[in-house]
Amino acid sequence: MQEQHISTAFDRDLEAIQSNIMKMGGLVEAAMTDSARALNDRDVKLAERVRADDKKIDALEMLINEDCARLIALRAPMASDLRAVLSVMKIAGALERVGDYAKNLAKRTALLIGSAKIEGLEGSLLRMIKEVEAMLGDVLNAYVARDTNLAEAVRLRDHTVDQMYNGLFREILTHMMEDPRNISTCMHLHFIAKNVERMGDHVTNIAEQVIYAVSGELPEDARPKGILAVADDL
Amino acid sequence: MTELAIKISARNVDVFYGATHAIKSVNVEIADKMVTSFIGPSGCGKSTFLRCINRMNDTIDVCRVTGDILIDAEDIYDRRVDPVQLRAKVGMVFQKPNPFPKSIYDNVAYGPKIHGMARNKSELDEIVENSLRRAALWDEAKDRLQEPGTGLSGGQQQRLCIARAVATEPEVLLMDEPCSALDPIATAQIEQLIDELRSSYSVVIVTHSMAQASRVSDRTAFFHLGELVEYGDTSHIFTNPSDKRTESYITGRIG
Repeated sequence: MQEQHISTAFDRDLEAIQSNIMKMGGLVEAAMTDSARALNDRDVKLAERVRADDKKIDALEMLINEDCARLIALRAPMASDLRAVLSVMKIAGALERVGDYAKNLAKRTALLIGSAKIEGLEGSLLRMIKEVEAMLGDVLNAYVARDTNLAEAVRLRDHTVDQMYNGLFREILTHMMEDPRNISTCMHLHFIAKNVERMGDHVTNIAEQVIYAVSGELPEDARPKGILAVADDL
Repeated sequence: MTELAIKISARNVDVFYGATHAIKSVNVEIADKMVTSFIGPSGCGKSTFLRCINRMNDTIDVCRVTGDILIDAEDIYDRRVDPVQLRAKVGMVFQKPNPFPKSIYDNVAYGPKIHGMARNKSELDEIVENSLRRAALWDEAKDRLQEPGTGLSGGQQQRLCIARAVATEPEVLLMDEPCSALDPIATAQIEQLIDELRSSYSVVIVTHSMAQASRVSDRTAFFHLGELVEYGDTSHIFTNPSDKRTESYITGRIG
């Protein structure tokens, strides 16, 4: 934040909330990395841990929301302080969703045990997860540094993720048509791909909140929407 | 800001108290049928500027006002303008409720009487009733019109002062910290009243409470060290002010 408030308790409260957001971001990043590795290694134990750790993420979101409600009630934040609080609440919500999707990925990993790997397909899926993970890392850095340029760059990268999803959708469809025995695995992989695409959307929302908190304005121009191409095909 | 009918317009207004330069080249246009609030730290000049709008500063010998203040495009500092007539057109409500030591009825009837606005008793009765109604005091005061105004509660006294101000059919209503001596309920009543008065007058309010400015006003002007730093839509000023000093003030970083 900028210069200090006359009331130092106000600064303390704001800082506490911001540090909880960073803690939450770190947990969500770890959940993504671990769930991707669990999928790749078919590691049920690791998947199990991701599912268990999601509770910590949920608890932090609740804590952040309570702290924000208290800060609004007691301190009546204005201008950049108000935007900081509003954006923190939205960012916490978005991070919680990303955490949920990672948990879902871990859940599906357990169901995929025993089925043959579809190598090319899972490689593409892991690349997509890596891309969203990198976006999440960047957007958290943008939040700490109050860097709107970096946040905007993340926002625009969502297009790449959408295109990756479109590619995966076609690949999955091809595998299912080739060999109906793949259908069950492919359905799971498709849900995972769709969830990762949604993770990308939430990371994009976080990027928009960073821009709002710093500049007071939400980006106006619509992002290029790659995801519609698939809907048109159906 | 959207373009609206301008009621008051100030051009290059400077105010000096002796050697003190209290207001520095203020330019501002205040819209009709809207509530405009002036905020800023103590001594920033917001009350001084408010008092220029009905020439209250004329009563202070060492005070000198330069520049132009126009109401409906007419210069209120023109030599032909009678300050008494001006003040009938530009009503004022002060920080501390200051009813005259007279009955409730006479408090409201005083202005219309000296300005010859009523030809007979029944016309005067009507003005008094309408004014008390507009100040949301009629129901509480109608059965005790002959009791002294000073016997009312603080919030009622302030509404009586508003009734007194609107009795002369003003076009502009100036309020200098009208709620700072009132409890939260009386404050809420006055704020509700300001909201209703907006449809008839151009209301300008000076307040130390930023929450009040954000609740009641359409536009907000931030004064600092005699300068008008920023002026704009209230929602904009309180969510995303353009000037660093406004930001620092409303977020509690400078006093």
